[in-house]
Amino acid sequence: MSNALVPLKAGEARAGDQGELIQLVSFSLDHEEYGVDVLKVREIIRMPSITRVPNTPQYVEGVINLRGKVIPIINMRRRFGLNELEYDKQTRIMVMDIEGELMGFIVDSVSEVIRISSSEIQPSPAVVTSGIDQECIAGVINQAERLLVLLDLQKMFSQDERRLFSTM
Amino acid sequence: MPIDCEDQELLEGFLTETTELLEKLDDDLVALEKSSDDADLLNRIFRSIHTVKGASSFLGFDLLVRVTHKTEDVLNRLRKGELLLTPEIMDVVLEATDLVKTLVADIKAGDIVDRDIDTTVSKLIPLLAEQPAASKTVTAAAEEAPAQSAAPQSTAASDEPAVAPKEEAAAAAPPAMPPAPPRPAPEPPKKPAPPKPADKGGDDLSDNTTVRVDVKRLDDLMNQVGELVLERNRMIQLNQDLQGGTADMVLFGEEFGKLAKRMNFVTSELQMQVLKMRMIPVEKVFKKFPRIVRSLARDLGKEVDLKIFGEETELDRSVVDEIGDPLIHLIRNAMDHGLETPDDRIAAGKPGTGTLVLAAVHEGNSIIISIKDDGRGIDTDRVGRKAIEKGLITEDQLAAMSQREMFDLIFLPGFSTKDKASDLSGRGVGMDVVKTNIKKLNGLIEIKSEKGLGSEFILRLPLTLAIIQSLLVEVEGEIYSIPLASVLETLRVDQREFHVIGGQEVLKLRDMVLPLIRLEQVFRVQRHYEQDNFCYVVVIGAADKRVGLVVTRLVGQQEVAIKSLGNYLANVPGIAGSTILGDGRVTLIVDPVGMIDGGEGAAAGR
Repeated sequence: MSNALVPLKAGEARAGDQGELIQLVSFSLDHEEYGVDVLKVREIIRMPSITRVPNTPQYVEGVINLRGKVIPIINMRRRFGLNELEYDKQTRIMVMDIEGELMGFIVDSVSEVIRISSSEIQPSPAVVTSGIDQECIAGVINQAERLLVLLDLQKMFSQDERRLFSTM
Repeated sequence: MPIDCEDQELLEGFLTETTELLEKLDDDLVALEKSSDDADLLNRIFRSIHTVKGASSFLGFDLLVRVTHKTEDVLNRLRKGELLLTPEIMDVVLEATDLVKTLVADIKAGDIVDRDIDTTVSKLIPLLAEQPAASKTVTAAAEEAPAQSAAPQSTAASDEPAVAPKEEAAAAAPPAMPPAPPRPAPEPPKKPAPPKPADKGGDDLSDNTTVRVDVKRLDDLMNQVGELVLERNRMIQLNQDLQGGTADMVLFGEEFGKLAKRMNFVTSELQMQVLKMRMIPVEKVFKKFPRIVRSLARDLGKEVDLKIFGEETELDRSVVDEIGDPLIHLIRNAMDHGLETPDDRIAAGKPGTGTLVLAAVHEGNSIIISIKDDGRGIDTDRVGRKAIEKGLITEDQLAAMSQREMFDLIFLPGFSTKDKASDLSGRGVGMDVVKTNIKKLNGLIEIKSEKGLGSEFILRLPLTLAIIQSLLVEVEGEIYSIPLASVLETLRVDQREFHVIGGQEVLKLRDMVLPLIRLEQVFRVQRHYEQDNFCYVVVIGAADKRVGLVVTRLVGQQEVAIKSLGNYLANVPGIAGSTILGDGRVTLIVDPVGMIDGGEGAAAGR
């Protein structure tokens, strides 16, 4: 499960921790906290003006101009079937590298980069946050006062979705 | 076996030179067949092979040396008039050239594969038989028997003093290697194994990673970049003045206006210059064809005279790279389906030799490539029947089709008039692929054909894929860009003039009934303005089909750089790509061909 994450060499050994240290960017969506591998995140930007692309699934918010490159933007709330929320000052786009291509994901807010030990990652329980596809959940991290859902966004685009766009 | 070469630079030089020589070689060889007494040509061919041999022996590519050496020997005999050039000899020489290409491609790929070169080499050997080549070894003499006289002919060696010692060794090696079976036997039973990889290798050779640019063009470019730097400095200066509050606003405005003008001028010059550098003559693709046509003609038992016009026409590298395959398909098609056998032709009252014309011309911002044969033409009845047989269309659909639409049937995936697939064609994929590839390039393909007289395939391709002129339009608040090349005219009309025929909105435009597509519906744009009776219609055309796009407002004409939408959104229907406007916003580029085909598909109820 955790092999989607590139383990980092532990720069500092922390007492009591086993396993390798990994770094995650944590963000929130509808009051839940999620994490993605920091190495997959290229940058985090505020909402620019988005150009709608017609005839695409509704969770494709559109495309933006990222310093001369046009990249698609996915609305994570819509993708996971959560209630829509007005964009506010906290709304961010996380630009990630998905199989060699840049893609942006709209999230409610980005909080911090956290370090955890890979041994802390537990397999996801059978039923997690309604609406979120099971397959892109790489695990959960259960720390004292926080529950973090680890996502593998590479898996978010199922074969069917890729095909939808490549054969039409 | 990975290549162990100490001097990478040397190797690269070798590859570039060899690739170039080999590319020219094909052409020369085919030309040679037509004028076999052209001594200059023969000498040139000989020298090319000789150079390749010398260089490869220097770098220690033994397989390559063995093949080129034998080929060279055969060419040498031709050159000396000891051998008369026949199509059979040419076949063998061409096969050897292909093998050389494959080997070079292997080296280029960085991995020497142990290929079967003996088959080809053994075909060359008989041609040397009367006067054996460098047979210093006993093996060859023993097996090869008949005319292997003791006189070890030294022509090869004396002709190439430059590559002396190593050459000797290499030359001595080959006759020992091939098992050299009795002479008449080797050809038929051996399967023609090499040609397959050779074909592929040949194509791979077209090297697109490096560009040769005229030094003058490069100097011009440098000058323009210099000017651009000056303008940038000026801009920084102006900005500093403005920030520092030392600028006189009136003066600033004036200066800034001048700067903008000069910047505009310099950048457009620069753009032209870079575009020019990317332009290469279409000859790069065309020069492969004499060879292909020749071998196809021999395979099919047809006589073909290939005429090429306009090979100096320049177009963008990206386009040149992409049109090779579609053109090969079309040429194959013309030769296999179009042209008849000599007997049939004479029976039909035509000269026995068919003519295939390949021509390229510029027309405005596009290039037109036409492939024309004087064969039997497209039999629309037969095409229609086959399409029904294959379940691609229904009887009713066929009955309603115009001749043009029937021609277009051959582009349907799965369509083939052949009952059995041959090596060449008949699998029903070729034309579909051609159409897709041309469409990918934003090009159009058109067919003209007359039964019994021949057919012509006309490709219309954009000169470049990078920058296009476009018409910006507004659809209920959203801006879209329409490639100007496909815009025929724009009109402002009252929506009350629209008619509805069978659920399809149309506009009477002069003597024509124009089907309309409302972009706001196709793109599901939310209504932004109040209902207004007046709107604009952008008439777009591809081939001779016309469609009117209904938009809210025309914004203007602009030159835009095309940006891809990435893999994930690569195939959004109706959208060809995107571009970034002056204000930094992304605007989508409408795919005119998709619009026209899509609209038609909807009308036909497909």
